Amino acid sequence: MTSVHQLVPTISPRDAVGNHTLALREILRSSGFESEIFSMFRHSDLMADTHYVDDLPGDADAVIYQFSIGSPVADRWARHPAVKIANYHNITPASLVGKWDGLLAAEVQLGRDQMARYAKICDHAICDSDFNKFELDVLGYRSTETIPVLFDPLLAAPNQGVLTRLKRARRGTQVLFVGRVAPNKAHHDLVAAVKTLRETCDDDAHLHFVGTDGPPGYRSALDTIINHAGMRDHVTFHGSVPPEQLVSHYLAADVFCCLSDHEGFCVPVIESMNHGLPVVAFSCTAVAETVGSGGLLLADKSPLVVASALHRVSQDASLANRLRDAGHRRAKCFDRSVVEQQFRSQISSRLLESL
Amino acid sequence: MSDSQSDTDYFQEIVAEIETEARNRAATGEYPRALLRSLEEEFRRWIPDASLENGVEDTIRGIEAASYVDASVPLESRSSVGSFVKWVVRRLTYFYHRHMAQQVTALGIHVTRPLRLLDAMLKNIDRRVSAIEDQLDVGAAARSELIAGIANTCVPEEFKEILLEHLTDAPGRVVFGDLFQPELLRFLSRQSVDIYGVSPTGDTIEAVDVRQEQLLDHLSHLESDVLGGFVLCGVTDRGSLNEQLRVLRLLLLRCKPGAPVAVIVAHPESLSSRFGPVATDLLHGRPLHPETWCYLLSREHASDLTVTEASDSTCSLITAKLQ
Repeated sequence: MTSVHQLVPTISPRDAVGNHTLALREILRSSGFESEIFSMFRHSDLMADTHYVDDLPGDADAVIYQFSIGSPVADRWARHPAVKIANYHNITPASLVGKWDGLLAAEVQLGRDQMARYAKICDHAICDSDFNKFELDVLGYRSTETIPVLFDPLLAAPNQGVLTRLKRARRGTQVLFVGRVAPNKAHHDLVAAVKTLRETCDDDAHLHFVGTDGPPGYRSALDTIINHAGMRDHVTFHGSVPPEQLVSHYLAADVFCCLSDHEGFCVPVIESMNHGLPVVAFSCTAVAETVGSGGLLLADKSPLVVASALHRVSQDASLANRLRDAGHRRAKCFDRSVVEQQFRSQISSRLLESL
Repeated sequence: MSDSQSDTDYFQEIVAEIETEARNRAATGEYPRALLRSLEEEFRRWIPDASLENGVEDTIRGIEAASYVDASVPLESRSSVGSFVKWVVRRLTYFYHRHMAQQVTALGIHVTRPLRLLDAMLKNIDRRVSAIEDQLDVGAAARSELIAGIANTCVPEEFKEILLEHLTDAPGRVVFGDLFQPELLRFLSRQSVDIYGVSPTGDTIEAVDVRQEQLLDHLSHLESDVLGGFVLCGVTDRGSLNEQLRVLRLLLLRCKPGAPVAVIVAHPESLSSRFGPVATDLLHGRPLHPETWCYLLSREHASDLTVTEASDSTCSLITAKLQ
């Protein structure tokens, strides 16, 4: 049986790259390939289901490397004699994280170095977005294409307890952002925007952050900024939450707002659309093409403009409804079955031919 | 037209409306500029300064690569029996070797992390030292002599009344800095303007409040929204561009909404003719044009911007009100 294995530096559930890797393994297996996941750092929940990187068979026919950070695992992939496929999820530029986390900056810089170094040895690269594809094309990757990331549609029923609590506590506009608390996600810009919204239009507006903590330095600076801006009671960090609770947050909020400075795709945008939550986003990197026609794309993320947009969406029912409808239509483009089909046809047309 | 195209067009119209609305509301003073200035300053203050460049990167990369221990011992041997024996031994001890290898690999990764941090810190220090070296003026002595020999721009008499009228209803204490013309401060003070001066040279006047310190240092120690206005001069003639912009930023941050502000600035052309080519070339900073001050203040949505040129065309007075 032809073997197509995956290599990934870290594998864990509740993580976009981890979920994508697990989903792709199922597609490969159902397409008739022998497929396993090999990783250096494995979450305890996935120990039995995945393998340590050293166990990668030397006679594998093709190895897919999930590229999202710098890691010595990439060197293992590069040295492997099999057909080499990169699945590129983008790497945050060091300039965006260097100020906050030197170690993370070192890792992403290593990732960018590796990305450039392996242009010549990579047989084919699959990118989450055209933005990601463009980066690889510029580096001289000879064969690239765009297939969105595979993610669960988050069909879980909401956690009623959390939903009731959120609804009971709500006063003004409830603004939600879902993502790791990291500098490139620009949580501080969201705080500034909601602070402005509260000062000018809606003094009950509240900001909800859902996501794991990233660099401690950034979180600490963010806490200081929030305290100094007098927003301690108006910003809530919910941390990483299980799917049922995440659905509750999507259902309880009035608007999803993303002001990230760098995204390779941005899954929460599509999840928001799936749950009928209007999306307002700063148009940069891959965010614009992910949001597409399904949300308000701002070219300027100054607090005044963002606050105006949030206020408009929360006050204009017809606009909010149209955003919900457009969001649903947009989310269908990233439906799991659609993306799965793209991967299947890619595997049958290109991978099998090259083996 | 498809649904998605129709949505795109509609949402683009909405965004254009939102941007226009934001601009209009900002222009009419509906948005609190003081709040935004304060936020910008806070964010700027709390963003740490560090970054990473290339240096001992390759060495660390080498350590990372070497920290990968392969538990699969090679089986090659000169005889097939030897190879077989090695295979058996490897099979029997593989669980043990793999366990050890995983730990060594993990250790290697944890060792290189602090090395990377140290590398980043060293580069950061190096970069900062370089920046300071650039700022350390190799011609500092010559420049000091030049500055010592140059008189400050004299504020024309005709500006006194304009300043008095402009500052009369200030919503708090007005700061005057860099103070180099004590008579003007005394005049304003006697006319019941609640004003004090900041002078790096320590010029003092009886019965007038003058602080002897650099204007930047003084402003750095103040709380936000405590000043009722400002008269800025001196640093506007010879401060570096960065100093001038930094002083302005701090003044805007320290002033209450509605504060009257004034900037007295020499005309760049007249200053260069007065200083001569050597001083003009060697001085750190040069005066900004009145149009530039107007632009900087209008960016902060200051209103009632007025430029008054001195009758001898040596300097200008820019007045405005903050929002």
